[in-house]
Formats: sequence, structure tokens, C-alpha cells
Amino acid sequence: MKHVSLVLAAILAASLAGCSSSNTPAATTAPKDNKGEASTQPQQKVKLTMGSWRTEDKDAYEKIIKEYQKKNPNVEIEFKPTKNTEYNTVLNTALQTGSGPDIIQLRPYAAGIALADAGYLEPLDSVKGLSVMSKDTLAAATGKDGKIYGVPTVFSSTQIFYNKKLFKKFNIEEPKTWDDLIKAADTLKQNKVTPFAFGSKEGWILSLTHGALGPGFYGANDFVSKITSGQTNFKDKAFVDSIQMMQGLTKYFPDNYVGISMDDMRNLFVTEQAGMMVMGDWELAVMKKMNPALEMDVFPVPAPAGGKATVTTWVDGSFSVNKASKNKAEAMKFIEFMTTKDFGQLVANELMKPSTIPGVEAADPIVTKISKFANSISTPYMFVVHFSSGNPTTKVTLETALQGMYLNKQTPQDVVEEVQKSADTWFKPAGK
Amino acid sequence: MNGTNVQLQAPKHKPKSFNWRKGFIHLFPIPALAVFTLFIVYPILAAFSYSLFDWQGLRKGAFLGIGNFVTLFTKEPFNTYFWNSLAHNAYYFVLEMIFQNGIAFVLAYIIFSKVKGAELFKMAYFLPRLLSVIVVGFLWKLMLNPNFGAVNVFLKQIGLEQWARPWLGEPVTALTAIILANCWFGIGFAVLILLAGLHSISQEVLEAARLDGVKGFRLIRSIILPMMMQSVVIITVFTFVQAFEAFELVYAMQGSQGEPVHSTDTLAVFFYRTAFGSSSGDGTAIGLGSALAVTLFFIIASLSAVFMALMKKKDIE
Repeated sequence: MKHVSLVLAAILAASLAGCSSSNTPAATTAPKDNKGEASTQPQQKVKLTMGSWRTEDKDAYEKIIKEYQKKNPNVEIEFKPTKNTEYNTVLNTALQTGSGPDIIQLRPYAAGIALADAGYLEPLDSVKGLSVMSKDTLAAATGKDGKIYGVPTVFSSTQIFYNKKLFKKFNIEEPKTWDDLIKAADTLKQNKVTPFAFGSKEGWILSLTHGALGPGFYGANDFVSKITSGQTNFKDKAFVDSIQMMQGLTKYFPDNYVGISMDDMRNLFVTEQAGMMVMGDWELAVMKKMNPALEMDVFPVPAPAGGKATVTTWVDGSFSVNKASKNKAEAMKFIEFMTTKDFGQLVANELMKPSTIPGVEAADPIVTKISKFANSISTPYMFVVHFSSGNPTTKVTLETALQGMYLNKQTPQDVVEEVQKSADTWFKPAGK
Repeated sequence: MNGTNVQLQAPKHKPKSFNWRKGFIHLFPIPALAVFTLFIVYPILAAFSYSLFDWQGLRKGAFLGIGNFVTLFTKEPFNTYFWNSLAHNAYYFVLEMIFQNGIAFVLAYIIFSKVKGAELFKMAYFLPRLLSVIVVGFLWKLMLNPNFGAVNVFLKQIGLEQWARPWLGEPVTALTAIILANCWFGIGFAVLILLAGLHSISQEVLEAARLDGVKGFRLIRSIILPMMMQSVVIITVFTFVQAFEAFELVYAMQGSQGEPVHSTDTLAVFFYRTAFGSSSGDGTAIGLGSALAVTLFFIIASLSAVFMALMKKKDIE
């Protein structure tokens, strides 16, 4: 075995040497035939690579990069995405061997921050544009040392999509209060339209729906700051209420909702069999493609009794600079660009997602509306932002428990107990 | 040059210092052996060593000894997951033996009895096997869809509406539904193996049995099955390994949590989510995952060996 590992080590060493030599910057091989102008304006282009897991966003980012290059002709940026499920492994391995892309798309919150805490990333204190973003937004890429390591670019945002045509047909207005929402659901049900396209077969839908509808019941941001500072826990009556509300909605769900998955939910909504769907912004583009004639719009989730309507957001990813990059200055310049309104505009139009930069108007009115909500009345998706650690994660624990609740195996009280038990295994309130 | 030639042509029994030709032959397996070592032996040993350490993400931490195994078998929820998954794997195996291999034997026997178009049937049964498992999972997900899937629509058409249910959404039916889909997928392969076994029985024996008046079930039980034991052992071990490694269909149809509420969880799915976490990149536990992989390896290896030994004994008897 010793021999085998020796051989392996040799192979590994050889391949690593190969990697690093191909990574040497273009600058060392500067062309010598530049005539007089060479001294003032170097002709060689700086090559940057950009790592990401968004293979589906390749075209959009290439367009954005092209726009950037119009003003910065000296850089060449290659957007090199890796498959979603393999990105973490590939990136971690590269960083550990001192290579990796110059600009790194960071997973939001705990997973991305771990890379910053491990010292692989360059702090972005010098990036001025970051000041336009809120602390909550920047928290997605703030290290344990309090420094910011990434520029959050887009939000994911959950709200309620509704079918405009059906609402008009049955004289339903965009609900402003929780009672309005329930009334709207009743009206749809009386008219043989499924009120909510919903299914409990896939766990992530459950935490997502709770994340969107729950804040009004548990008290949105107040509750989040209380629970993260240890002043309360999940056994709080307000939180139990939010789970009970989830159970109370079953009569508005489609037939056989325990066997319904995301695909079925989307089908129900785009074929106009369901009037509303609690869903994330990313489905907008998909649904538009499936049924271009669908007249849909969004409204924020109304709260019961005097509370404020909310949308639930989390940062979808941020961009950071590799500490080992050979072209840090140029990479930083691109990062600075990512905090400008121009970039926000491009992102909103190309990715059709709400930008983290306030005041961006997208070409699509629904995207503009979602962006506006996300930058004004948002509350964090608590289980993604604060409770996605543990093994299994507290988020997954909530999902499984809610699934059990919809299968009549668990009561809302059981759900809460399990969630708290999971949080107890790892969560330490900020103040303690 | 001449000297070696003489040596090569020398008669066998003549003593010699070293036979170069014979020695040289032993070098030929080296490329294959190297590939085998690199891709099979090394990963197994690596997994074993990984299981003895604490891991922070992909970074190896402190040496834990059997710590990960202790966690796996004593700490909630891992121990519950483990026994729950193991029971599902066992159920998987039993159901596959009954439905996949049972039906496959009947089909193979019919084909063996020289029906018209035997070749066509053989091909038809094997056809599902040519699909990717992910495609199979997708197809069955559509067929089992609670509201417009073919299965429920069919049940409603023939007046069995009360039987229609969200097959994949209810814990009672979800695992069985997946296993039956897998039987549909694997039946062609089982038919081929069993058919080969049937063909290996010499015609004279069958003829003699028939002349002695042995017929029907008696013929199958006393003559055919014992004489095709080899194939039965092969398909049993295959099914066993497959059942205990069951992953793709569960993952394709019910996700990495073995939903709903872990009712379709198997050891391999449990391993996958423990070692690699969800796609959001959190909750990876390489050490614990490796401990599970090593346990799975020992379960499969030891039980397969027991199967082989038992069947061999029976074969000799």
C-alpha cells in the first residue's frame, strides 16, 4: 500500500505542477513588439476567470461581461461555471491547492462564510459601492471577523403569484390583509378553482411556504432578532401559531396534495387550474416560457391583524476575490462594478432576478415589482439565513416535520419540539 | 540470443534457474491490476481511513478512531436513520426476489418452452433496461402522479376509484411503488440470466424425467431448479447487491431525503446526504458518511459471501 500511495502522490504532484504552471499570468509573457505606445498603454490583456455554480446563467453573465469590457478593454473575463452539485467540491479542492478562479461566486451564508473564515478570500473593505446595501444583505458574506468578503448580487424572493384573469373573473382584489387572503381563497374554492397550487411531496416547498407565509404570524424581523439573540426560541407561541396556520390551510390545497411535487404545482398554476401560488421569483421566467399568455402578477404576503405585508428574501450568492489571485487589482475593479446601478440593471434584465441594488427598474414590470418589495418590505428567510446548520440541518428538520404534519403523523406542537431539538444541537445565540 | 532459445525449447521437466517466458507473463496483468487498485482498492481503503477521522468540510481533522461509528449507531437521528434504511433495503430485496425474479422465472420458463416469437419477447422484456434510471424514475413519477397519472386514471376508469391514491406521497405505498418500478426495470436482465440457466440443463435429463412421468411443478422443483442453481445464485447475489445499494430510483423519484418523512430512505441515499449534504452545500460529514459506507460495504460483502456459501452447499447436495 505504501508503494501505491507513493505513486499516487507522485501523480498528484505532477498534476498540481501542471495546474499551477498553466495559471501563471499572461503578464510574464508580455509581447515585445509593441512600438512606441507600449510604454503608456500596455496591450496585453489581463485574463480573469469567474467561478460559479450557475451553469444556466452563462449567457447572461457573458452579456454582462461584454458590457463591462466596453469600458474596460484591457481585461478578458471568462465565466466558468461548474455543475451545481459539484461546485463546492471543485472549488474547495482548488482553493486548498492555492489555485481556483480569480473571482469566486460564493454560496450565501454559512457555506460561503466558511471559505472567508478559512482565509481563502480577500476582504472587500475598500469597495465603496457596498454602502448601498443593508447589513442584512451583506450578512450573506460577512466573515466572523466582521469584514465583508463578497458582493451580494441578486436576491431570491418569495411572494404570492396570482392569476390576474381568474381574480378579475371572480371580482377578487389583491389581498391587503390575511382575512382578505382567506376570503380570496374561499371565493376561488367556491368557483371550483384550487386556491393554492401547493404540494407537500417535496420538503423544500414546505420550508419555503412557511418562510413566506409565516413571518406575519411569528412577527417577522422582531422575532428573528429575538431568536438569534437568544431572547426566545421556537417554542414561542407566535412561532407555534405560524405552524398552526400552515395546517389550517389544507382545505385550500389541491386534491392529493401530499403526492404533489413542484412540477405539478407549476402545472396547476400555468394551466389556470389554481389561482395562487406561494413561490420564489425564479419561477417567473419558467412559467412565462411554459405559458406566455398567462396573465399573472405578484403581491406581498399580507399579515394578520394590523401587521405589515412582507416578502421573504435571502441573498442568492455573492462574488468575492480569491486571495491567491495573480490579478487582484483587476478583479477588485470588476467587483466594484458589481456594486453599481449599471450592473444592477443588467442583472435585473438578463437574469430576471431582483437586484440587491435599490432603485433598479427592470424591463419586466413583475421583476421591477419584486425588486421593489425585496428592497423595502423584506424579512429574511430565517431557516436559510440563520438555521441552515446542523446535521441534518434545522431547515431540513422543519421540512421533514411539516411533511409529517401534513400526513397527520405529527401535530404543530411536535413540529416545534423537533425544530427546537435540532437547533439545540448546534445553535448558539449571538448574545451568549 | 541462441542460449535463451535453447532454454525455451528445453523439455518441461528439465530443471532450470528461471523461465523468462513464464515470468514475463506475470507482468501482463499489471495494467489491469493498476487500474483495479487505483479505482477499487484504493477508494475502499481511503474510505476506511476517512471514516476514522473528524472532517471539517473537506479538511481532515483529528483522529477519532471508531468515533464516527459510535455516532452512527448511538446518536439520534443517525441511528434511527440507519435502522430505518436497513429495514427498507431488506424489504427492497425481499420484494425484488418475489416480484422481479419470481415473474422473471415464469417468463423465462415460458420462453424456454419454445413459444413462438421467443426472441421477440426476450428483447421486449429487456427493453426497459436500456433506459437510463433517471428516465425510468421520471416516467414512473408521471405514471404515478396522483391527479393525472396513468395508474390512477386507469383505476378510476375501471371503477376502482377508492384504490386511487397519491402513491409516492403516502409513506405506506411510496417505497413499494418504487420497488415495483425497479422490478419492471430489472426484469429483463433476470430473464436473461435465468434463461441461460435453463438452457444449460441437458436435454437428456429433462427427457428422462419426462419419460419417468415427472411433470409440471414437480419437474421445476426437483429437476429444473436444482440443475440451474448457478444462475439462481448469480441472480440472487445480484439482486441482493442491487437492493442494498439502491439509490438512483429513490433519489430520482423522492429526493435525497427519501421523502415523504424518510419512508423511502435507503442506506445509499442516507450515505449520499450525510457525506455530501444537500445542494445548498451545508451539512457535509465526510467522516460519518465514510463510516456508513464502510458499514454498507461489510454488510454487502459478508452477506453475499454467506449467500454464495449456502447456495454452493445446496448445489453440491
